[in-house]
Amino acid sequence: MLTLTSPVEIWAHRLPAGLKLGFLALATSGLFMLDRPLWLAAAALAAAGLYASAGGRFALAGLRLLRPLWPFLVVVGLWHLWTGAWQAGGVILLRMATAVALANFVTMTTRLSDMIATVQRLARPLAVVGLSPRRLALAMALVIRFIPVMLERMEQITQSWRARSPRSPRWRVLVPATLAALDDADRAAEALRARGGAG
Amino acid sequence: MERNLTHIALFAALIAVLGLVPKIDLAAGVPITAQSLGIMLCGTVLGARRGALAVLLFLALVAAGLPLLSGGRGGLGVFAGPSVGYLVGFPVAAFVTGWLMERTTLSTGLAAGAASVIGGIGVLYVFGIGGMALMLGVTPTEAAFLGMAFLPGDIVKAVLAGMVTQSLARMRPASLLSRA
Amino acid sequence: MPDPAPSGIRLDQATVRLGGRVVLDGLRLSLSERRIGILGRNGSGKTTLLRLIAGLIAPDQGRVTVEGADPFADRKAALGNLGILFQNPDHQILFPTVEEELAFGLVQQGLPQREALARAHDLLAGEGRSHWAQAPVSTLSQGQRHYLCLLAVLMMQPRTILLDEPFAGLDLPTQARLSRRLAALPQRLVTITHDPAALEGADRVLWLEAGRIALDGPPAEVLPAFIAEMERIGACDADADLAG
Ligand SMILES: Nc1ncnc2c1ncn2[C@@H]1O[C@H](COP(=O)(O)OP(=O)(O)OP(=O)(O)O)[C@@H](O)[C@H]1O
Ligand SMILES: [Mg+2]
Repeated sequence: MLTLTSPVEIWAHRLPAGLKLGFLALATSGLFMLDRPLWLAAAALAAAGLYASAGGRFALAGLRLLRPLWPFLVVVGLWHLWTGAWQAGGVILLRMATAVALANFVTMTTRLSDMIATVQRLARPLAVVGLSPRRLALAMALVIRFIPVMLERMEQITQSWRARSPRSPRWRVLVPATLAALDDADRAAEALRARGGAG
Repeated sequence: MERNLTHIALFAALIAVLGLVPKIDLAAGVPITAQSLGIMLCGTVLGARRGALAVLLFLALVAAGLPLLSGGRGGLGVFAGPSVGYLVGFPVAAFVTGWLMERTTLSTGLAAGAASVIGGIGVLYVFGIGGMALMLGVTPTEAAFLGMAFLPGDIVKAVLAGMVTQSLARMRPASLLSRA
Repeated sequence: MPDPAPSGIRLDQATVRLGGRVVLDGLRLSLSERRIGILGRNGSGKTTLLRLIAGLIAPDQGRVTVEGADPFADRKAALGNLGILFQNPDHQILFPTVEEELAFGLVQQGLPQREALARAHDLLAGEGRSHWAQAPVSTLSQGQRHYLCLLAVLMMQPRTILLDEPFAGLDLPTQARLSRRLAALPQRLVTITHDPAALEGADRVLWLEAGRIALDGPPAEVLPAFIAEMERIGACDADADLAG
């Protein structure tokens, strides 16, 4: 499946996922404690430096990941300018963009399998409330297995609708798609049972 | 046991798929992503506990780096962005939707629609708008202005959630775990 | 009369209802042969019978035992006793990659993950398909996925393997290779098929009709009768079409 891990391998790919997450947690808490524009500008520059150290292609991919933020940056920037609180606005925008960029950096430099292993390690304490790491691992694998299956089926449903109707199915794909999810769940439960259950 | 696990996993996949399908032209050429419809369906079909778990599972995979949020977003960054309130609100919304669904004695379709309005819109908006206010440094009222842009689409989705759940109840009564 | 040392597959008045309909009707069977075939028309209950034997569903009435254990209640015993190949591979595959799918059964049988993966790699190497290990299952063709499911079942080395139309959707060379492969297995095989010719070498053939056994015996007896009846029905429908 498509992941957000960058195909351009950089130095940070070689660091353990746990370490990167630890740094990220520290850095993000730090960001939310800073409220001087100058300090935040320095932090933003440091984040930009992190991306720059990885080369142009990586940095560009990083910028592209920030794109969903633009509308918010524009709206909020204009708003704070208009109310005259441009300094407060600058603090907020810098902080948010930097925090998102740093988090994206970790995602871009960590393989999905490592990240999943880390998520499972972090979820280990949940075993006391009945969520065993094994079951979590199984559930995550099932989701990754069934997303392409379900996407393909949505496509099929749309096609078989089109084959018999001049109009597009629109929301009508939802019922067969949800039905299929329910049936898949029943069958997967059976397949799981055939091989020893969810334990 | 197995059925619980696979239903949770398959609905986590359904949330992802509904966000990835490029354009379900829901009504008259208004392309809206159906991801929050997936959240509502988790509650109306799976019930409170399983529904919330399905959403949490989905979010865990998003955090792990899969671009499963509508628009192909994902990774850790989205949890530091202005929409984080919506993400935190997703499992709560599914839980409340499912909780209402399990308790009301209304007919299935009506119950699912109403539960989706309360859980999938009301509760979700409280979290989402609160999150935006915090992250963007604006007042909740100002944030609400931003959030309300999605209200018409979300009302359509709640109606759809009711209709879909109603159809499922007719076709697979045993699979409607929220009413089991 | 007390049962002597129970062995093989036994059904005692087993009845299964699905969606309010009786799908298997008081079946009484004792299967201990090595090669058993099941024939029957669409909807006659073949898959349901296999699921019942595999312990995936419980009988609504009656009893099922495999090697003396109830396959529905005693899953631990069933895991070593029975493997099942589903009619549709997409209903069977649980994992996103080939190696995970293969290793899962072994982990379930108590092997550590690392060793299970190593064995999966060995098996793939032996099949000349090492390049499959990391491949997403969604990139395999239908026939290849079917083959993967069979490998996953074989890895667990169950005493009996239940096969639901194992040749459906496979090209002719793959069918030939698969049937040679199956013929060489030491295990007991219970095979559902729509092709009577595939059962000529079987020890015993069951013909299922609307949830009951229509005929049960050696292939020399059951196959000709089955073929004759199928041809008769086929011809009838054609006549009805012409008349209508
Ligand atoms: N989940 C279900 N609910 C209700 N009826 C079912 C269900 N599954 C199967 N049936 C019915 O049980 C009967 C037997 O089904 P089964 O799948 O065992 O047939 P089969 O002999 O394997 O057919 P085929 O050759 O088409 O695979 C069919 O009439 C089918 O409609
Ligand atoms: Mg069948």
